[in-house]
Amino acid sequence: MIKKLLIANRGEVVSRIIRACNSLGIRTVAVYSEADRDALFTRQADESVHIGPANPMKSYLDVEAIIEAARHSGADSVHPGYGFLAENYAFAQAVISEGMTWVGPSPEVMKAVESKCYCRHIAEKVQVPVNPGTFDPIKDVEEVYRFAEKVGYPVFLKLDKGGGGKGIEMVNADAEVPAVFERISRIGLAAFDSSDCYLEKVVVNPRHLEVQFLGDHFGNYFCLGERECSIQRRHQKIIEESPSPVVMPADRKMIFDYTLRLAQAMKYQGAGTIEGLRSDAGDYYFMEINARLQVEHPVTEFLTGVDIVQTQLQIASGETLSLLQDDVKMDGHAIEARVYAEDPVTFQPSPGVIKMLHLPQETEDLRIDHALEEGGSVPPFYDPLLAKVIAWGKNRENATSRLIEALKDFQIEGVSTTIPLNISILEHPDFKSGNYHTGFIETLTGVSLR
Amino acid sequence: MDVSINAHMPGLVARVVVTEGEEVKKGQEVAVINCMKNEMTVLSHVDGVVKEILVKEWDEMQVDNPMVILEAKTG
Repeated sequence: MIKKLLIANRGEVVSRIIRACNSLGIRTVAVYSEADRDALFTRQADESVHIGPANPMKSYLDVEAIIEAARHSGADSVHPGYGFLAENYAFAQAVISEGMTWVGPSPEVMKAVESKCYCRHIAEKVQVPVNPGTFDPIKDVEEVYRFAEKVGYPVFLKLDKGGGGKGIEMVNADAEVPAVFERISRIGLAAFDSSDCYLEKVVVNPRHLEVQFLGDHFGNYFCLGERECSIQRRHQKIIEESPSPVVMPADRKMIFDYTLRLAQAMKYQGAGTIEGLRSDAGDYYFMEINARLQVEHPVTEFLTGVDIVQTQLQIASGETLSLLQDDVKMDGHAIEARVYAEDPVTFQPSPGVIKMLHLPQETEDLRIDHALEEGGSVPPFYDPLLAKVIAWGKNRENATSRLIEALKDFQIEGVSTTIPLNISILEHPDFKSGNYHTGFIETLTGVSLR
Repeated sequence: MDVSINAHMPGLVARVVVTEGEEVKKGQEVAVINCMKNEMTVLSHVDGVVKEILVKEWDEMQVDNPMVILEAKTG
């Protein structure tokens, strides 16, 4: 049983996890860097511990400093949120070695799914389709030439352990191969400690879809629906919705079945997400597994009424999932806009101090996940995500209107935000018709964001 | 004449791309600042030679923090 949880993160996700803990009667410990000394999330927790300077390498990414904070505060468990150490299996192992509970899948699963090639192998084993490509890291440029000859350019060169939008390079011709291969290997070594990369055929104008699932320690698994995440810039999501406007009921049944097969094959415990692509022709390809809570989880919570964070804590406490797949309601439509501290046209980051803040009123059909307050600082050292605004409606049109209305009522001064961009996406005819793909923002702004 | 190349964005120094004694042209990249996980390029606004490097990787930058001192070319 979890009694006192340390949250190894900062900002809105800390506020989100604290809310789940308050509902379950769990005490909370926040950690903070020098840059977040006065931040709202540190005051929302029951306790907070200073862990280091603004530099995340010496604070939010410092395993030893966070473990020490957990020991010092008497926490019996750790939730990593998303980003920072959330996918670091050595951190998960360190938490477990201290005799504490790790809120997430086992370090063994985390280590395994870090390799996209491993995921592709598992998928092949349980007959889940993957995008044509290699199943093992390539050894030299010759393999690229041979693969391109077979499937045709362009092809993707992807880092086996890449993530966060890094480590994906498109190659258009033989002549580009050596330079791209060299560059991606260098990025891989610098950012992910591994230069391994593999090949994939390019799916033209794909939809980015993912399926949320939960698994307990007793072999019970279920899916909480898909999320459509095709509206992205620089491989980072900006609008997410559920259900997807293009997934037909028979296909939904099929991708849920794929998800459950993959989760079971990995003996996955906790909350996870299967990410995949849907081609123009309606083919589905599995891509990877995100072994953590996801930023866009509120979309699914709004649609199903299931509190994913509370369920994570219950699973980690050793409880049995009381839901059955048939009990999961997918009612109406939910849609989320991520508000970033960025210039809406140039995407230049916009750190600063919040001089004025007016948030729309939260209601049964509107939720705002944030950790903002007037006078609060938006430091330049971390992710630009400021808030997520999530709306529910009985259909897609109603949910979108509700979200637009809320975004128009969201006022903030002191930092620039992507709100004008969020609104122009939601009001765009192609978005309204559901006819869009991962290149949508580039089409909208006419600027290449790569 | 010494000219200072300053940070135009707050953040953390990602890297300094010039070395002491190196000749630098106006408009050339001298350093990179990581601001909110975006890499922002710091350019020289003069021709010159790098006299002193004042920052290192992971240093915290505020706007207008001097990063590199150049001996500017005159005439």
